[in-house]
Amino acid sequence: MSAVIETDGLGKRYRRQWALTDCTLSVPAGHVVGLVGPNGAGKTTLLSLATGLLAPTAGTIAVLGGTPAAGPAQLARVGFLAQDAPVYAGLPVADHLKLGARLNPGWDAGLARGRVDRLDLDPGQKAGTLSGGQRAQLALTLAVAKRPELLLLDEPVASLDPLARREFLADLMEAVAEQDLSVVLSSHLVADLERVCDYLIVLVGSRVRVAGPVDELLAAHHLLSGPRRDPDKLPDGLEVISASHTDVQTTLLVRTSGPVLDPAWTMSEIGLEDLVLAYMSQAAGRRRRDSHHHLEVQK
Amino acid sequence: MIWLTWRQFRVQALTAATALAAFAILLAATGPHLASLYAASGITGCHGGSCVAAPVAFLNQLQATSPYPIVYLLGIALILVAPAITGIFWGAPLIARELETRTFTLAWNQSITRTRWLVVKLTLTGLAAMAVIEALSLMYAWWADPIGKATGLGASTSVFNGGRFSSLIFATHGITPLGYAAFAFALGTAAGALIRRTVPAMAVTLAIFAAAQIAMPLGVRPHLIPPDRTIATIESVDLDFGSLTATVVPGQPGAWLISSGAINAAGQPVSNLPAACQAAFSGPKPSSPGPCLESRGYREAITYEPASRYWPLQWIETGIFLALALALAGFCFWWLGRRRT
Repeated sequence: MSAVIETDGLGKRYRRQWALTDCTLSVPAGHVVGLVGPNGAGKTTLLSLATGLLAPTAGTIAVLGGTPAAGPAQLARVGFLAQDAPVYAGLPVADHLKLGARLNPGWDAGLARGRVDRLDLDPGQKAGTLSGGQRAQLALTLAVAKRPELLLLDEPVASLDPLARREFLADLMEAVAEQDLSVVLSSHLVADLERVCDYLIVLVGSRVRVAGPVDELLAAHHLLSGPRRDPDKLPDGLEVISASHTDVQTTLLVRTSGPVLDPAWTMSEIGLEDLVLAYMSQAAGRRRRDSHHHLEVQK
Repeated sequence: MIWLTWRQFRVQALTAATALAAFAILLAATGPHLASLYAASGITGCHGGSCVAAPVAFLNQLQATSPYPIVYLLGIALILVAPAITGIFWGAPLIARELETRTFTLAWNQSITRTRWLVVKLTLTGLAAMAVIEALSLMYAWWADPIGKATGLGASTSVFNGGRFSSLIFATHGITPLGYAAFAFALGTAAGALIRRTVPAMAVTLAIFAAAQIAMPLGVRPHLIPPDRTIATIESVDLDFGSLTATVVPGQPGAWLISSGAINAAGQPVSNLPAACQAAFSGPKPSSPGPCLESRGYREAITYEPASRYWPLQWIETGIFLALALALAGFCFWWLGRRRT
């Protein structure tokens, strides 16, 4: 399986602030990949580096095997929809399509026109007067009609209302099915991605916390509950992602390759959202412990 | 890309074309009558004393006839201000607006490199700015040609008082408007890229361009070519006795007088009329202090550029601004290559 995005020790610094540090990841081709993480995890920075809008401060990034934005050919292979789907407010919808046609040799005019018709966008309407959902769909039309191999979407539905959100994602999935695209879309909300992604990368504080096909991730994670006990005394082959305790009971989220045979535990399935949140809070907890540790050292 | 540039620029282009047309109509409506007044003034084919009297009479007549003084001043003001306007409204938003509205994410993710995007935008818009401003200048030069001929003969009035070397005339005629236009436009674009916000970039563009427009005639232009120096006798010089400065360069018609001042027999500069010569000036029978100064060995030291250096100076000044414009454009490309949006 080839990688659409491959990074090694990737880092980006704005003045003194690092937005992304030492990020090493590999995004496989042929998937709709959800890039999830809390605000400030570096998702937008990572996608901007992948489009070549930013240049890395450290490390390397290869997109479809090439340097981002290295030339017209590389630009033609990657479609990008930036956060809040910026469009030229003063230009009508039709002129946006003309822009796409003029600037992309691989432009699929039939596809673009078909989408605009189907989405009920008035070609004469100025883009600045479109609703948020329509604007996102116009921007998506521009991004897919250039016929890219990889489509990158940065928080595509964050600013949309629930109905527009659903319509946009359904529309996106239709485009993906028609075109055999690899897609990476970022969000800080797992719920948005659950319906469309078949691969998940959880990014917290520039680090990949967990990555893999969604069904495999769900199959490998379980919720265990049983009488209170020390989490250190667990069978081998279990990795505890999160643990919570009451006076009498312990609940664990574990990653395991096989079934847990200890009859003291009750095992249950876990949803994608809980799984992601567990990894995010694990990372947050680790950071808290780290900073606590630093304080003690300073004394 | 040419299409996109035009599509984003066409409102401004239309505005400029309208302004240009309005100015052309104004000049075309008043120019022929101005030319006929000149033809009737007797300046053409004058000789001797009439070459002094006729231009003065012509300019006085013109100054008293509406709308010539207004059109004359309006034209100069327009050509001086036009580069700043294009720098502010064409240059400053070129990159800054894309950053502000975040549309650069759209523009720079089409199958065309950012460098190409900027090459086309800078070239087309920049050339348009230069063309519009040079067109203004040429139309105005045609209209004001009779006035220039009259002032070239040394005549002046309170409105029509500058030869072609005077600060405002030099910068609005010939090829210098090309340089100012290119510089202002590139300055606006670079300021927009650096500041990343349109309105502050506009303000900075205006401030720097105005400073350059003032600094050039006052501090730079007189030094572009080392000026010639001459020591003239008081008799041969048309002297302003209040400051002891010359008003024309003797034997150099149409020369640009840069500085002048009296020196005494020992070669020391003299700034005021010596007491001994004031008597002749303010006595019961006032006469010119000239002979008094002459008899005491006073001379007039003058630095000037001869009339033949008009075009070399035009080329140098234009070249300086074009070079600055290229450097600023180069900065824009370098900035775009750094990719820190």
